[in-house]
Amino acid sequence: MTRPVPDEELMVMVRDGAGEMLGVLFDRYQAPLFNFYSKLTADRAASEDLVQEVFLRILKYRRSYRPGTPFRPWMYQIARNARTDHVTKQRPETSLDEEMPASPHASSAAEQNQQHALLHRALRQLAEDKRELLLLSRFQGLRYDEIAQVFGCEAGAIKVRVHRALQDLRDAYLGLERGGADMRRKTAGANHEL
Amino acid sequence: MNCERAAEWMPEYLEGSLGQDETKLIEGHLETCADCRQLVTLAKNISVLPEEKPSLALRANFQAVLDAYEEGRTERARLSEGRPRLAGWGLGWLVSPIAGMALTAALLVLGFVGGRYLNNEGNAHSQQELAAMQTELSGMRQLMVLSMLQEESASERLQGVSWSTRQQQADPKILDALLHTLRYDSSVDVRLAALDALSHHGDQAQVRRELAQELSAQESPLVQVELIDLLVEWHDRSVVDQLHKIEQDSTSDPAVRQRAHWAVGQLS
Repeated sequence: MTRPVPDEELMVMVRDGAGEMLGVLFDRYQAPLFNFYSKLTADRAASEDLVQEVFLRILKYRRSYRPGTPFRPWMYQIARNARTDHVTKQRPETSLDEEMPASPHASSAAEQNQQHALLHRALRQLAEDKRELLLLSRFQGLRYDEIAQVFGCEAGAIKVRVHRALQDLRDAYLGLERGGADMRRKTAGANHEL
Repeated sequence: MNCERAAEWMPEYLEGSLGQDETKLIEGHLETCADCRQLVTLAKNISVLPEEKPSLALRANFQAVLDAYEEGRTERARLSEGRPRLAGWGLGWLVSPIAGMALTAALLVLGFVGGRYLNNEGNAHSQQELAAMQTELSGMRQLMVLSMLQEESASERLQGVSWSTRQQQADPKILDALLHTLRYDSSVDVRLAALDALSHHGDQAQVRRELAQELSAQESPLVQVELIDLLVEWHDRSVVDQLHKIEQDSTSDPAVRQRAHWAVGQLS
């Protein structure tokens, strides 16, 4: 089997003008990026726009890519900036709650897997920066040193922040689980009284 | 082991980079501590959350961007080489059905006039007809560009913008349409392409004026940055005041403000 060409080599080709190579990188990363955004915002249409925006920016700013720069952190840095621009561009009356409709994936996922649905809901309760960190480290599989490059800080600081985010997630998850159990008890109690 | 020590090792444990001995110790702790176990379970569950698939249109739209980019690149290369215009008409035209129709119509005109031309070789009259054919072709192209800029799909509009660059002579109607696209198109990609197309017409006073006005009116930060770069490239000092305002405006996009700051330095 031939070894796939590393992202960084492809990006150097793009930088030097071979735009079609960006198509290869697009195929590699459109799904991960899309999931990053869709799990962050629960807005499919906006997520697709953002994926497109990221690759457009890569194309526009291709000359700023320095050979040897790890591609994934570089790309996620662009992805975060694109997201920030997108949020600031939105009309001020659009709050985060409106942007994230209630139970984005829950309806389908709950039937398949209640745990996933609960996890989604717990993730949604976290502050966005924490959700972002957990998605990058756990869902996108970025190493701590790669995330540190995305955020422009030390890997040690990222480890601490990821751990805190996990603790918050656990609290949110347990809270939801308890809430669900209470609800079931209440319903059962009501049925019993009848 | 207590939870504090477990927390210290947890990041490496979850990443799978913890040494064997430490892994054993932490796993021993996990057996007895439900809190830490829950943390690990949740962390692992995030990584197996179901993956959603983006729509196929996403890839198709991006391909249109890449095609427009490639086309723009070969077009620029060709223009800089100064080869005759007709030589560069690639098959990219045929991608769009409207383009296909236009090409068919153009070939018909070409065939008709060309046939007459061969019959009257060397005739001054035929020179006129050739000129008429040129005008007709360029009129047709103008019509196609104008209609494609109205298309619903962003990729068709992109194609329209990229066609407009085939016209070396600035056609006022096309320039108007491009300026309209730059300001009002719903897709940032199309706006950027329109700006790129307009950037070839820096010799037109109207274009320069309109683009300078666009600086404050433009909503997309990406387009704004590109616009600033272009105005700097044109050494348009008339926009320095506007740039100052953008730079001071705390509601502007930070990247745009930064670029405006840079541009002021370049222009003054």
